[in-house]
Amino acid sequence: MTRYAIVADLNRCVGCQTCTAACKHANATAPGVQWRKVLDFETGEYPDVSRAFVPVGCMHCETPSCMDVCPSTATGQRADGIVTIDYDICIGCAYCAVACPYQARYRVDEPSAAYGVGKTMRHEAAREDPARLGVAQKCTMCVDVIDAGVAKGLVPGVDMGATPVCVASCIAGALHMGDLDDPDSNVSQLLREKRHFRMHEEMGNGPGFIYLYDGEIADMTPIDPAPMVADPVGLAAVSPKPQTSWDWRAAANFMAGGAGTGLFAATMLAGLFAPVIWGAAFAALALVGAGLFCVLLEIGRRWRFLNVFRNARTSWMTREAMMAVPFFAFGGLSWLTGWVVLGWLGALFGLAFLYCQARILRAAKGIPAWRKPELVPLIVSTGLAEGTGLLGVVVATTTATGVPGLGMALAALVAARFVLWKRYRRALGKTGAPVQTFRVLDGPRSGLIGAGQAAILALAGYAMLGLPLQGLALVLAGLAAAGTGWLFKYTLITRAAMNQGFAVERMPARGAGESAPGIKPGWTTA
Amino acid sequence: MHTPGNTVSKTVSSYCYQCVAGPDLMKVDTLDGVPVQVRPNGTAAAVHPAHGKVCVKAFGLIQKTNNPHRVLTPMIRSNPRKGRGEDPGFRPATWDEALELICGKLNQAQARGKMDDSGFPRVAASFGGGGTPTVYMGTFPAFLSAWGPVDMSFGSGQGVKCYHSEHLYGELWHRAFTVSPDTPLVEMVISFGANVEASGGVCGVRRHADARDRGIRRVQVEPHLSVTGACSAEWVPIRPKTDPAFMFALVHVLLHEAGRKRLDLPFLKAMTSSPYLVAPNGFYLRDPATKKPLVWDLGEGRAVPFDAKGIDPALEGEFAVAGVEVGPDDVEWVHDGIPCRPAFAHLVDHVRPYSPEWAAEICDVKAEVIRKTALDFLDHAHVGETTEVNGKEMPFRPVAISLGKTVCNGWGGYECVWARTVMAVLIGGLEVPGGTLGTTVRLNRPADNRWSSVVPGPDGFMNYPMNPTKKGEWQEVPTSRHAHQTLVPLAANSPWSQALGPTHLAWMAQKKGFEHLPKPTPPDVWFVYRTNPVISFWDTGAVGEAIANFPFTVCFAYTHDETNHMADVLLPECTDLEGLQLIRIGGSKYVEQFWDHQGFALRDPAAKPMGEAKDFTWIATQLAKGTGLLGDYNMAINKGAAGVRLFGKGFDFSLEPEVEHSVEGIWDASCRAASAELTEGAESQGLDYYREHGFRMIPFPRERWYLYPAMIEQGLRFELPYQERLLRIGQELGARLHEKGITWWDRQLREYEALPHYQDLQGLWEHAQEAAYNVKIEDYPFWLLTTRSMQYSWGGNAGLQMIHEIASNVAGHGGVMMNPEAARRLGLEEGDLVEIASPIAETKGAVILRQGIRPDTLLMIGQFDHWKTPFAKDLKTPSMNALTPMSLELTDATGSGADLVRVSVRKLGVGA
Repeated sequence: MTRYAIVADLNRCVGCQTCTAACKHANATAPGVQWRKVLDFETGEYPDVSRAFVPVGCMHCETPSCMDVCPSTATGQRADGIVTIDYDICIGCAYCAVACPYQARYRVDEPSAAYGVGKTMRHEAAREDPARLGVAQKCTMCVDVIDAGVAKGLVPGVDMGATPVCVASCIAGALHMGDLDDPDSNVSQLLREKRHFRMHEEMGNGPGFIYLYDGEIADMTPIDPAPMVADPVGLAAVSPKPQTSWDWRAAANFMAGGAGTGLFAATMLAGLFAPVIWGAAFAALALVGAGLFCVLLEIGRRWRFLNVFRNARTSWMTREAMMAVPFFAFGGLSWLTGWVVLGWLGALFGLAFLYCQARILRAAKGIPAWRKPELVPLIVSTGLAEGTGLLGVVVATTTATGVPGLGMALAALVAARFVLWKRYRRALGKTGAPVQTFRVLDGPRSGLIGAGQAAILALAGYAMLGLPLQGLALVLAGLAAAGTGWLFKYTLITRAAMNQGFAVERMPARGAGESAPGIKPGWTTA
Repeated sequence: MHTPGNTVSKTVSSYCYQCVAGPDLMKVDTLDGVPVQVRPNGTAAAVHPAHGKVCVKAFGLIQKTNNPHRVLTPMIRSNPRKGRGEDPGFRPATWDEALELICGKLNQAQARGKMDDSGFPRVAASFGGGGTPTVYMGTFPAFLSAWGPVDMSFGSGQGVKCYHSEHLYGELWHRAFTVSPDTPLVEMVISFGANVEASGGVCGVRRHADARDRGIRRVQVEPHLSVTGACSAEWVPIRPKTDPAFMFALVHVLLHEAGRKRLDLPFLKAMTSSPYLVAPNGFYLRDPATKKPLVWDLGEGRAVPFDAKGIDPALEGEFAVAGVEVGPDDVEWVHDGIPCRPAFAHLVDHVRPYSPEWAAEICDVKAEVIRKTALDFLDHAHVGETTEVNGKEMPFRPVAISLGKTVCNGWGGYECVWARTVMAVLIGGLEVPGGTLGTTVRLNRPADNRWSSVVPGPDGFMNYPMNPTKKGEWQEVPTSRHAHQTLVPLAANSPWSQALGPTHLAWMAQKKGFEHLPKPTPPDVWFVYRTNPVISFWDTGAVGEAIANFPFTVCFAYTHDETNHMADVLLPECTDLEGLQLIRIGGSKYVEQFWDHQGFALRDPAAKPMGEAKDFTWIATQLAKGTGLLGDYNMAINKGAAGVRLFGKGFDFSLEPEVEHSVEGIWDASCRAASAELTEGAESQGLDYYREHGFRMIPFPRERWYLYPAMIEQGLRFELPYQERLLRIGQELGARLHEKGITWWDRQLREYEALPHYQDLQGLWEHAQEAAYNVKIEDYPFWLLTTRSMQYSWGGNAGLQMIHEIASNVAGHGGVMMNPEAARRLGLEEGDLVEIASPIAETKGAVILRQGIRPDTLLMIGQFDHWKTPFAKDLKTPSMNALTPMSLELTDATGSGADLVRVSVRKLGVGA
């Protein structure tokens, strides 16, 4: 077998960005898009300071989280380990971008030029590639060069004509590429000779990008995890940043989809005790539909949206879409016909849809606030709480029957949601997350702060008691439960969604110098 | 998957020589006639020291070529008023019109005499990039040669932003216009601010990466943690401009704390001036008959001429001897039985006070760090060991000291280059494998051959083309506006000498002339190419005002910029990827370019010129034709003014003198001559061959990296550690100047010491600033420094978006770097907008916090503050150039200053 990988010798790298420039040339990437770039890290405090330059890009992982999440199967992996993107089927949902812990993926929606579109240069015009607009793009490992070279009998990583341009152009001889499965290859030999690490090893992706940091392979002292430094000086460029792939439109899908499926399920459940409120069921369908419409607005290639159904095997986005179909079918038919059985089927698929939404976030490994297992029940519970809250509003303002029961259900769900929120927050604090994630989640606009949830509980509890103004209490509690849930999810998807950032496990030994501890900048536990 | 780069319709060979650390070889891919991609030249991997790679700047050439902001037709100024606030009113013109205008001015100058009433050339030229424009200006040097006197004294950075003391003293001592460790062999380098990973080119980067892989110990001594500091085993954050104290302490440790036997005593005795006896007035005691310096022969117990055979000269001790001492202007003192000591003993005494403890306080570096650095140096020196290079046995001394800009220019430069070279000779590590090497010569001749430049001079040393200082020989009336031959003996008088004179004096004189020098005049015609002194020099406001007063300026213009804003004519020349030229490559060149091959490389146009841009060779030919100099111009080309002599033993491809030759015809002849030169006349392939192959090389023997064999062959010594010759010419120069009434150069005369003393450089700067501007130095609490960036240095590429984009990945670009503790004291945070002010100007920029900088130091990378250059003017990037005064008091004896100024910081706004 062949497993191509890139090895970066941090002792040799000088951060010159020649690889960055060569990559931009070879691949004609748009201004601001850098499939390959070199980061500038600094650790320590004056005067004991270390500085290192760390090339990054697509890591061509063994188990690429970007590929698993891709709903269209546009992202693939060749037998030689190279992770590819088929621009012709990618829908531009950017799920891969939030699933990548290495911030390697870009999406460019409009033609751009270095000096502005009105001043497009002739080489830019000559190399415009409309196929790359609105879809995911990243380092290809210059697969065309490799394949063409191999076809000529050249050896990737050895012969310049079969080697990725970043490696071929590296002036320091810091970048190497070769076959990890060949024990005699250049990269295998380097890994035998020098101590090395892989970035974010704990993520489990098995990145095919390995960093050499010390020549003393004989010293097998295990590497300590890179220490988290909450507020590092001058490392903004490598610290976690807000993800920019999913904005309010994606958040709207989680808000409306969760509340809608929750509402539908609550409506059908309430139908066991009273006539089904079909208007609420319709509103639920409309909410979910509106959320999905927002997603449609978000994706880069809208007319390819049907490609979302291509990867049921691993993608929770595909599964979400697949659950949406019977949800709308059964739910819609039940609303049209009034057949409760169909409504129950719709509710079941709706709950599955809600679960898929939670798993979508869980699978987005590039966002520390999303990938926690503890987020799944929280997302499900808040969807149910929101839906129940909205049903309470409908009931209290229309039939006014069953208010105490709905109050009880809402109180239970809000309480459960709060417990699950605390559980999630504790888990996040234990493993750590970007500082800004904690600042946002713990801030007054995070949605699920204790005082607010206590007030909802009090109102819902009041509604349970059958006292005057119970309807008003339920309306207020329901609106607040839905509103705070939405606020939480909006916050989670947008403002708290810092990406992974970059880290170095060890600073390199330079020449006769010594290796120093690495750094995980912008992270903390709390 | 799409990889657009693979659809290539044509590939041409070219070179990148944008910076002094080149040239490097590359390929350029085109698509339907459009250059789209730069690549390394894989076929050059076997001959190029960096395996056929080019650095990041080369990749900017695609945007440079296709830049929408290019000037694409000749343009003529319509507004006679010049200045930053004036709209030049450039109007497009035809080439005929532009050339007619320029040639008319040149012909007027010819008619009036090529020298003006002050005795200065009527034509001046300024080129940037440390001489690299030559490899892009085709046959323009032949035109200048045909013209005759041209004033090159208006600097664009040379003298103020170069390694000035290294250039001048380096060439004197070991034919070292620039100095490099023998990186492939070196084990330890002490680097004082040398930023080789940013400015050493691909060869420097590759060689040092290989050295790190080998386990080299490099100690980087500098106030901020540069890219090179990052790549070093150790960073020593020294107080700015106190490097001489650190280096003197290194010498002290070797001479006063390490045993004598650890030094290379045989080398000191046989290869240096160490044993020469010094007489009471500070000059060598000489044999009365031959005037040869005397040494004390321990074997015979008597003084003998230094070159007597079979002697064992003393390095220390005091001896009663007789002889003659020759001082300035050949004054002689006859001595009989006076006590004399060898130069080495004087050196030992001289550095006695300079202990690590003494230096520690000055440098803000612990004494044990200095001491350990010195002893490590000694430990790695391998004194006594030898190695073989191509069958020749030579000393092996794998230690070296590198010096950076600001360390080796301006005051203190002499002390630093002297101490560095003394450290090398103490362990016998000068010009030997592993040690401290010169790279190329520019002041000595021939310029393409270090070994051939080694010719015997006085007292057993190499000859040096010093500008004369003796009465009757001294150039009393300068022929350049900065008076380099009058003021700077070491500047010599080669074609490069003007660029190595006190270039800021030329600008200062335009504002106020210097007493007893001819009245300063602007040049009648000023040519400008690949330089932008209005942003790249110091006190840029004053430089801009001077340029605005020049009557006729011709700028070879790529885009509009701050300097050509003042021009009368803009000429669009073919840029790097459009022009045709053959250059000499290989051998040993600047910085770290040590090749095992030598030959020629072609810059083959990758694309037709954009717009009306013309090949520089065509422009030069038209200027020669229009000024009636075609014959002289062609003759100059024939003699090698365009890089290769067209005739030689067994070949003659000379151009017919009075004929206008085509661009391709000229370079075809050059290619044929190059082939013939490399094959000793056996072959004569022309342009087609070079277009197909890109370059042609023959072996360059590695022993020629080292001067040692040439010195041994001629029985010569290195003129170290004692500077008797400099002491003499300094006194002569002082006498000449005083005879003329010039006393404003007296401070500079103090540099002419046989053994340099430490001077308080920080105090010197502080005092100069206080005295000149009537300010309190406490109001300017920070030292402002600059550093080079690989992305920007020398490239003239501040207007390229891609360069800006990728340079942003490297910390420090785009703002002012400061220590977080210093920022905290001022209430500043990352990104805050601040005003940085010196007494003469202010600049603005965003705060960039890094731990790797001293709290008393600020850093601004590169040269910015553009206000006209497209794209660059919108970057809002601060630059120290406007803040740095041009000051006679801060000008050293070689005529250079240093990038150093005290500044204040004031918060203007909160960061985004």
